[in-house]
Amino acid sequence: MSKHQYAMVMDLNKCLGCQTCTIACKKLWTDRDGTGYMYWNNVETRPGMGYPRQWDRIGGGWKDGQLQPSALPTMDDYGRPFEYDYAKRLYEGSNKPVMPEGGAHSGPNWDEDVGALNGDENYFFYLPRICNHCTYPACLEACPRKAIYKREEDGIVVIDQDRCQGFRYCIKACPYKKIYFNEVTGKSEKCIFCYPRLEKGEVNACAAQCPGRLRFVGLLDDPESPVHKLVMKFQVALPLFPEKGTQPNVFYVPPFNPPRRGNYGKSILEDPRLPLDYLVYLFGEDVKRVIARLETELKSAQGGTSSEVLQLLVGRDAETRYRIRPELVQIKL
Amino acid sequence: MRFRVGVACMLVAAAVAAAESKPAPTQQVTVGTVDLKSAPVQKIALNRTPPLFDTDEPATPQIATIDVRALRAAGKLQVQMTWRDASNDSATLEAVPEGRSETRFHKVPTAEDDRFFDAAAVMVPANSTAVAATPSLQMGDPQGVVTIYYWNATRGAMRMEAAGRGTTRRTGQAFPAQGEYRNGQWTVTLDLPDLPAGTPVAFAVWNGSQKDRDGRKYFTVWQVLK
Repeated sequence: MSKHQYAMVMDLNKCLGCQTCTIACKKLWTDRDGTGYMYWNNVETRPGMGYPRQWDRIGGGWKDGQLQPSALPTMDDYGRPFEYDYAKRLYEGSNKPVMPEGGAHSGPNWDEDVGALNGDENYFFYLPRICNHCTYPACLEACPRKAIYKREEDGIVVIDQDRCQGFRYCIKACPYKKIYFNEVTGKSEKCIFCYPRLEKGEVNACAAQCPGRLRFVGLLDDPESPVHKLVMKFQVALPLFPEKGTQPNVFYVPPFNPPRRGNYGKSILEDPRLPLDYLVYLFGEDVKRVIARLETELKSAQGGTSSEVLQLLVGRDAETRYRIRPELVQIKL
Repeated sequence: MRFRVGVACMLVAAAVAAAESKPAPTQQVTVGTVDLKSAPVQKIALNRTPPLFDTDEPATPQIATIDVRALRAAGKLQVQMTWRDASNDSATLEAVPEGRSETRFHKVPTAEDDRFFDAAAVMVPANSTAVAATPSLQMGDPQGVVTIYYWNATRGAMRMEAAGRGTTRRTGQAFPAQGEYRNGQWTVTLDLPDLPAGTPVAFAVWNGSQKDRDGRKYFTVWQVLK
């Protein structure tokens, strides 16, 4: 168990699906050989296939203290990167529009905004995902090389690139499929929670760039941090698929009041615009309690009483959303 | 989970013990002196490691034996391993240009993320002149450090060292090696530094199509160089 634990809360009510976080992460960390298909941070449409496809159904994680089997996703499950045929269209003369070279058959967020039907109305929302930096990481247990470790000072889970031999047991073990194999280096890689930025007092790149201001970052064990307040004090943020047994340290405020024509102002509890079953599938039964709590807060705010929870979730400025304290997590050598 | 890892270790130990209970020490690899073709062939039984984790795929034995030839010439020991393998699991990876990839427009892609390659290895004691006891067959032991000459059908040859399971370390050194797949058979020739007669030597083969990597492989018990 680490001494401290960095955590992130993402408010799904505010996610625009703009992928700015994805690109911030990509430009900073996965703009290298072998990393084209990798998105340490991705945003997927829910309900949907996810990235890699069906990751939530192919296995991994813990059950009764045992690692669970899983398939290894293929490149087609992640989506093969492609280039556009600019040269062909621009220089060789053609009245056809530019097209992906060799065609495009899958991709991250391939089913963007497709969603599903609830009655006769479509619904969807976005789910941004990074490594959950779990308290009980299945990937760490699965590695026969002991190449994966959880940093004692801040709970960030990283892969030692010198020890990793690319066996990929970790990819199978991770129930969130947030580890990626780099065939060029022959090693596996993952989100490092931007620890070099945190060590300088800067927030994660994905959070810093988020136009929706939906990410909150801090130490889970720091009573002053927004993540501590949202997860422990107000208890309005939940981990994804808690039954996978890894205890994620990324938490989500569930979507609870999506606008819909004709029924504005009603919660999904009294008028389910998106089926509650699906939220229970993602976040467990506790999601009902969280939605009820948020509804109560909203009603009281609409009645003129200030809501501390909602004010925090609005998160107007960086000081509210982030509390990065490198001095708290330094290990004295 | 610790218990299960323990069971896996015991299974491996049992498999190794079973393998070692065969009349292994009398098995010898006779070393030729003229050329590899005329060197005596030693057919050695391959053992299959059992699945090491509950989550592993079944490990059905598909390769029964390996043929080994050895040649001592010009201060070197040439070892040739031949085995039947229904599929050639290898690839040609795109060459990585010099310089930082961040500064290049084109990045070398990961072509596939879920393939594993055929491979072979020879394990010998790191200090062959002072072998008091044969090192553990499971990647040596702290008193019996081993050198592993590892060849991979895609990634080439590399020298490794180990002092027990989980301690294998790449030295960063390559060595001359070549592999050829023809008519359902791999022929891999490794050029090793010369080793004196009496040196224990063990062989291993990984079958990519069976997702072999790590301890998931075929292995022989210790042989003795003659």
